[in-house]
Amino acid sequence: MTLLRVAEPQEERTERLEREFQAVLDAAVDAVVLFDHDGRIELLNHAGERMFGYNEQEVIGLKVGLLLPGPFGSHKEGEEGAHDEADYLSPYIEASEPRIIGMGRELLGMRRDGSEFYAELAVGRVQGTDPPRFAGFIRDVTVRRNAEEALRRSEAQLSIAQEIANLGNYVVHFDGRFEDYWSPHLYRVLGRRHGGGYMGVYDYLATLVHPADRVRWQQVRDELEAGARSTDIEYRIVHPDGSLRYVHHIAQTTCGADGRPLRQVGTLHDITDRRLAEDEARQMQDRIAHFGRLSTMGEMAAGIAHEVNQPLTAIATYAQACQRLIANGAVAEEDVGVALEQISAQALRAGEVIRRLRSFVKNREVRREVLDPNRLLEDVRTLAQTDVRHHGVRLRLETTLQLPSVQADAVQIQQVILNLVRNSIDAMQAIAEAQREIVLRTQLDSDGDIEFMVADRGAGLDETRTEEFFNPFFTTKPGGTGLGLSISRSIVRAHGGKLWCGANPGGGARFFFTLPALPASAGSSR
Amino acid sequence: MRSNVNNSRPTIFIVDDDAAVRDALKLLLRSVGQAVETFGSGQEFLDAYAEDRPGCLVLDIRMPGMSGLELQERLNEKHCILPVIFITGHGDVPMAVEAMQAGAVDFIQKPFRDQDLIDRINQALEKDNSNRAALGERNDIRHRLETLTPREREVLDLVVHGRANKVIAADLKLSQRTVEIHRARVMEKMQASSLAHLVRMVLEVG
Repeated sequence: MTLLRVAEPQEERTERLEREFQAVLDAAVDAVVLFDHDGRIELLNHAGERMFGYNEQEVIGLKVGLLLPGPFGSHKEGEEGAHDEADYLSPYIEASEPRIIGMGRELLGMRRDGSEFYAELAVGRVQGTDPPRFAGFIRDVTVRRNAEEALRRSEAQLSIAQEIANLGNYVVHFDGRFEDYWSPHLYRVLGRRHGGGYMGVYDYLATLVHPADRVRWQQVRDELEAGARSTDIEYRIVHPDGSLRYVHHIAQTTCGADGRPLRQVGTLHDITDRRLAEDEARQMQDRIAHFGRLSTMGEMAAGIAHEVNQPLTAIATYAQACQRLIANGAVAEEDVGVALEQISAQALRAGEVIRRLRSFVKNREVRREVLDPNRLLEDVRTLAQTDVRHHGVRLRLETTLQLPSVQADAVQIQQVILNLVRNSIDAMQAIAEAQREIVLRTQLDSDGDIEFMVADRGAGLDETRTEEFFNPFFTTKPGGTGLGLSISRSIVRAHGGKLWCGANPGGGARFFFTLPALPASAGSSR
Repeated sequence: MRSNVNNSRPTIFIVDDDAAVRDALKLLLRSVGQAVETFGSGQEFLDAYAEDRPGCLVLDIRMPGMSGLELQERLNEKHCILPVIFITGHGDVPMAVEAMQAGAVDFIQKPFRDQDLIDRINQALEKDNSNRAALGERNDIRHRLETLTPREREVLDLVVHGRANKVIAADLKLSQRTVEIHRARVMEKMQASSLAHLVRMVLEVG
């Protein structure tokens, strides 16, 4: 900075320059310190006095190291002499360039009270002096440093949090102006090593998604790219090392004014441990429920068997005794008479056991209520959710809206539908998971009744033998009782409907049953 | 003197809560010439049965009140040696296993072939017979032992431990001649045909 003045006496000029220099010094926001080649302070401006808490007169002749004890981290508490030698200044001193030779260096400043602060230092060499003299400009950057430190800390904490939660986040820029951002832990969640070339998050994910979840995943991806606002989806991925992981993926898309998606932020949460724990708990539950059913059925079956076995044993034994008596030629007419009488009485007794059993089954209290057919399916979907998910089956509802109501025992009808769903699940265990789908449908049939359908993609059935399925004790399942369809049909018939089945045109089986529709007024008036 | 051995004809004791099954079994077993007594419950049987009566017990495993297994346990507690054949239903295999572990000789599922039951009953009767013979013999030996004097008993104990007369004489401070007399008396009272026979009898009654 050179001020151009014309015809001014040398002395006046010097004085004026001195005043101007002083004014500049006093007005400066930064601290200014002048020091000689030994580092001895020759001047400290007002800002410097304020910054360091010294009076200028106190520091003149002292070494500049008093104010700037050294670079960050070099100064240790209680280490005497640390600021006697300001070695870090020697590069400035030795450098011979006649201009600002150091800029933006960060140092530790020390106030009179011993407290420290982050200082940024620029040093300039004063021209034309020998030995050389220097001007230092010092700025307190504590606030900026603290902000940077806080940012670093919050990034570190986020990283730790992601690590603990096993969660990674990403940012995808749809306009292609920036590369996708991967949080450090996202690599871990997706089983990818750091380094390696850049790869878009979705392009990478596409290589991992489990084949059975791919269709669903691709659908979500397409929706997001078409401008869907958000998604929340769980699916499976296979890491490059072959391990199977469950992830919970949440994403939020920001769209531009034209509605086109600009950017998407999302998190991928590895929930494998949770899912495994859930699965285990569910399996345990299923097993308990299964054993519960088995033991009840088993006890009942054992009871019935015993009840029927008694008269059968008596009949067989009486008949055999008679044979022996006749063979021995020792027939006492009275004995044979009693035996024959007992044989017929015991045969009737066995019949009575069976009659009682049937009336026991039939006389269960039935509670008929007015029900929405679609609501029945929705309830079943809720009830079957666990079972369905556990067996990798999708359950789809195709309800017809605004159907008339039915009058039925909700529990019984749900049992019928659940039983059919259960059969469908069993029938599809042999096929690929991606194809396992059950459709639950309601519609109005040509008689004006409500028709329910449960359709699967399983092994299908032999249409010429469908009636056999409804016989008691007919089963194709190991461990099956063969009673499910037979009981289901009895329930539906008791409701005035019918139950039948047929092949599913696309493969698999379809089971149908009907319930009479209530007249519209009955449904609405309750 | 033979006590505690009842030589009456073996009886088949049937315990079943179901009157029809009970009566049918009775008729069947009578048709093959067996003596039969029937009881409608375990308690009824316990009240009526005298332990020395030979035969076998045909027992329904499922009964209200005292079950077949409980009756078997009560009989075991009383050291009753009557062989037990259980009649079981279709789903009673675990119970049958338990019964066999508790010493039942056999079990048969109902309904059953008459011949199967009759064969099992005959086997059980044979077993009861040999059990009782062994028991009778042990009782006889015990009675014979009771007829020995204390001195003879001392000599017997040393003899069965394999001591020579000379050693026994020194141990009991008797003359060898006296030991020989005691020993001859022991052999006679115990009806032992040889030293080996004597040792076997003593071991048998422990």
